[in-house]
This record gives sequence, C-alpha cells and structure tokens, in this order.
Amino acid sequence: MIAVDGLTKRFGKHLALQGLEFTVPQGEIFGFLGPNGAGKTTTIRILATLTRPDAGVATIGGIRVDRDRFGVQKLMGYVPDYFGVYDRLTAVEYLEFYAGCHDLPPRQGRRVAHELLELVALADRAGDQVDALSRGMKQRLCLARALVHNPQVLLLDEPASGLDPRARVDMRELIRELRRMGKTILVSSHIVPEMEELCTWIGVIEHGRMVAVGPKADVLRRAATGRRVRIELADADEARIEAARERLDGQAGVLAVEAEDGVLEVSLGEELAQHRLLRDLVEAGFDVAAFTPVAGSLSDVFLGLTGTEEEEEEEMAG
Amino acid sequence: MIDWRRRLRRIYRNPLILKDGLARMRSWWAPGVVALYLAILGLFACLFFALSLSTAPRAWGLARVGSTAFAALALAQLGLVCLFAPGVAAGAISGERERQTLDVLMVSGVTSLSVVWGKLVASIAFLLLLIASALPLFATVFLFGGIDVQQFVITQVLTVVTAVTAGALSLFWSAAFRRTLISTVTAYAATFAATVGTLVLGAILTQIAYTSSPAARTGTPPDVHPILFFNPGYAMGALLLQPSGAQLHTGRLAQLVLLATGPASQSGPVIEPWQAALTVQLALVAVSFLGAVLLLRGRRGRESPSAG
Repeated sequence: MIAVDGLTKRFGKHLALQGLEFTVPQGEIFGFLGPNGAGKTTTIRILATLTRPDAGVATIGGIRVDRDRFGVQKLMGYVPDYFGVYDRLTAVEYLEFYAGCHDLPPRQGRRVAHELLELVALADRAGDQVDALSRGMKQRLCLARALVHNPQVLLLDEPASGLDPRARVDMRELIRELRRMGKTILVSSHIVPEMEELCTWIGVIEHGRMVAVGPKADVLRRAATGRRVRIELADADEARIEAARERLDGQAGVLAVEAEDGVLEVSLGEELAQHRLLRDLVEAGFDVAAFTPVAGSLSDVFLGLTGTEEEEEEEMAG
Repeated sequence: MIDWRRRLRRIYRNPLILKDGLARMRSWWAPGVVALYLAILGLFACLFFALSLSTAPRAWGLARVGSTAFAALALAQLGLVCLFAPGVAAGAISGERERQTLDVLMVSGVTSLSVVWGKLVASIAFLLLLIASALPLFATVFLFGGIDVQQFVITQVLTVVTAVTAGALSLFWSAAFRRTLISTVTAYAATFAATVGTLVLGAILTQIAYTSSPAARTGTPPDVHPILFFNPGYAMGALLLQPSGAQLHTGRLAQLVLLATGPASQSGPVIEPWQAALTVQLALVAVSFLGAVLLLRGRRGRESPSAG
C-alpha cells in the first residue's frame, strides 16, 4: 500500500534521507522507529505531499506522491506531531470544516463528523470549543479529522507524544480499532515498548537510512539471531552445568555465559555460528535437552541498530 | 488530473470563507472594530459639519456644505479602510502557519488557489461589512444634496476596490512571511506606500514638472503626474471636488507614463482618474493574488529540516 524506493532529501548541507527504501503491506500497522533527527518526520511529510523529495519514488496505493498530490490526499489521512487549533470553533464544526475541504456535501459532512466523534469517544464534547479540550482529546480529534474522507492509509507522526499514560492507552486502542476497520497505518515514534505492543511491521531508520524493516517477528528474530542462546541440559546437576559453562566460556566468539536455575544463557559474538556451538557441546558428551535462540525485545533491537554509529563517533571523539 | 468543475465550485463554496467568518464574528474583535470604525467616522462627520456650518460663507448653502462634507467623509472612509485592511488580512495565511494548521489544511484536498481565494473573500467580507455599516452615515450626508447618485455609487465602488486591493496586498505579504507581526508591518508599509506615498510623490513630481514647463508661465493648469493620477485618494477627490476638470486623453496619459516630450496628445478616449485608479488597482489585486498563490504553492520546495 505504501512503497518507498531510493528516497533522498537534502536540506542545505544536511542529508536527511539517503536512498530510503521500504514497503508497507495493506492492513498492517507499520512502526516507524528511529532516534530524533533520523528522518522519520521528513519521510512522513514526503508521503503526506508536504515536502518534495530530491530523488527516489514514493507511492501510496500505487499513486506517486510527487505527481498526483490530490490523488494521494484522497487515499491518505495525516496527523502531524503537533496539534494546531482553530480558535472559536467547536469540535463538530472543526470536523465539518475539513469534511468541506474534502468536498463532502454539508449534510454528509455533519453526519460523518458526529460518527467520527463517536469513534474517538468525543461525542459528549461535540459542542465544546476545540481549544478548550485536553491534549489527549485534541489528539483524538486530530485523528478523527484525518478520517473525515475515509482514507485507506493513515500517516501518524508521533501520535502519543506528550500524552499521559491513560491517553496513550486510548490512542493505542483507537489505532488498533482503525486497523480492524481495514486501514493501513504508518505510525512513527521513539517510545519503543509501545510500538512493540502495537505494530505488526517495523522499520528502523538511522541517519536517513533504513537499517531494519519487515514483519515485527522477523525483525526481532533477525536482530536477535546469533546473539543470545538459552541451553538446557538433560542431566542438569550442578557439576555438569559448571563443566558446560567452563567449556562454553573457553570457546572463541563466546562473550559471556551465565548459569541460573540450571539453565545456561550464552551471549555470542557475531562470528560464532550457533550450530558449531551446539555440535561442540554434543561432541563433548553433554545431553542438550533444549537449544533456543533468545528473542530480544524491540528496545534491544532498536538500541543495537541505532547506537553503532554514535558509539563509533563517541569513541573517535574520545 | 485537474478537476476543473471542483475548482470552479470552490469559488462560491469555499469552506475557508465560512470557517474564517465564524471564527472572526465570534470574537469581541469584530464588533469592537465595527464600533471603532463607525465611532471615528461619525465623530469626523459631526466635527466636519459643525466646522463647516460655522465657517462656510453664507452664499454656499446646505448643498455645498453637504457635498464638501460627503467628500471629506468619503476620503476619511478611504483612509480608514486602508488602515483596517492590513490588520484584517495580513495574518490570514501567516496565522495559519503560526497556529500550525497550514500543513493539515494543505493535505485536505484544497488547492493553494482556493486557500488564497477563501482567505481573500473572508477578509474582504469583513471590510465590506465595515463599508456597509457606514452607509447610513453617507445616506444622511447625501440628503443634504450636492452629490448625484453616480458620484455616490462611484465613491462606494472606489472604496470597495481600494479595500480589495489593500486586502490582496496584505494577503500577499501574509503568504510571504512566516510571522504575522512581520507580515502585518510589511503590509502596512506597502499599503501606506501605495496610497499616501504615491499621493505625496505624485504631488511633488507634478509640481516639479509644472515649474519647469512653459505652462507655468501662461498659468495653464498642470497635467498631473501619472503616479498621482492612479492614486485612489486623488481619484476620489477629483470625482467629488472637481468632477469635470481632471480627465485626460489616454494618448496624453500614455505620454506622461512614457515621459514623452512634445505637444499634449489629444488622441484616444478621455479617461477619468477614478477609471485609471480602478484599472491599476484591479491589476494590483490580480498580481498580489497570483503572487500569494505561487508563494503558497512553492512552500513545498522551501521546507526546513524536521525534528524526527
């Protein structure tokens, strides 16, 4: 539904995007992760037709964002990372105004406005002025605004930013509900645990490049594979476990071995293949009952993928 | 593909007009400005009448006093409209930027043209309200006589077109700058230059040209400098105070514009200052309007880096 290929954007000397590539299949919630300044907002603004790319192609529903702005706008709803309010408009008037912008006849616009206020649980605040609503309510209203023309794709830039925990939970539930309605949702954030819970696809951007992208389970597996392994032995008395720990500790490429409750957890360097470790244990006479790669959390993946260059820079500076 | 039917529909069914109108009329600002406008104009009319009735020669009669008062009131209204228009229009687009609502507006299926059109109409609608609210005052002065219906209508048309021009100019600066404060100051400077500036400059240039010409020795009235001829204030003054003495042949006007020397041309139809002022102002409206549309359309290429 969303396809980005070789997207490049430069602001003066600063290269914000460097050949960015990713796709988002229909009906998925795509978590767009990256540290501040990585290029998330620039990418979303290009997809929203607000910024022109210098090179590359981005399409929504097969329509190029740089060629048919209004065609894309019909398919897409955009929620920026800030909420600008119109003074002296009520919540329902606010939605009716945007329905009018999208060419909905006034009667249909009013009906849609009330339906959306129901959806975002603001029906009882329909007559309140927008600037009198709380931040969480404004953010939900902003999401309702992005839905007035019933778009297939939603671009949400940091939708939970600045919200209290209760409002964040409400927002997550709302996004899930929208997925159930068949929407494809791209949501950017740097609150990683929330994204892990919410998203079905993950893309991690760093310095304008995509460093990991795919279904969430794949990204977690790929990032975790070859890093940590949990080993259970069939004859798990203390002596055997200690012997296995000593044997593993001596292996080249093993970074650390921990033994806890009869289970060994081994941290591996990237150069050591897991199958070699398993073969060595078996050949040494250990009965291996279970040998399981440990899936890292999304936070581990995020930190692992986005910390490298900064650490290198820090080392060089130090 | 461009949907022309949709674009044409946006001329008369533009949601921005209703939204801006609602927001403006719901604040204390709107009735406050109307009250201030009428108070200034009413006070001016009362003072002028009192002064005229006490100082005018007996031979003048009420009609002469009425026509002079009407001219003074019309010129005062023109000045007030030029004073209020930048305040109304200069924040129309920059205000959207400051409120951070412009991005969302620009992805909501509206064109730059319909945004500028909606903002212009919404601003002008308020200026028209000001002008319309002063009509009873003008009607009262009109009752004294000395002004014909044609003069009355042209006066109102010139005022409305000047309001539209000042509004369009201010809207252009509103599209050019991010900050409303800067756009408002620039809009006031531009409106001042286009009205008072051209009036003063035109008068000075007319006087300079006149003193160095043979007409000065013979006592023939001078041809006004084109800068003055196109000025709405001069046009209104000429219309109300010397209705038959300010016209020029278009050939002579072309000579003056092109700084051509030689005997005064009598070719082409005769043109009145108000006709010239209306033409120039409508051209200025078109240029400002298109400029604002292009500035708004070009903003996608002038983005600054984003945070995320």
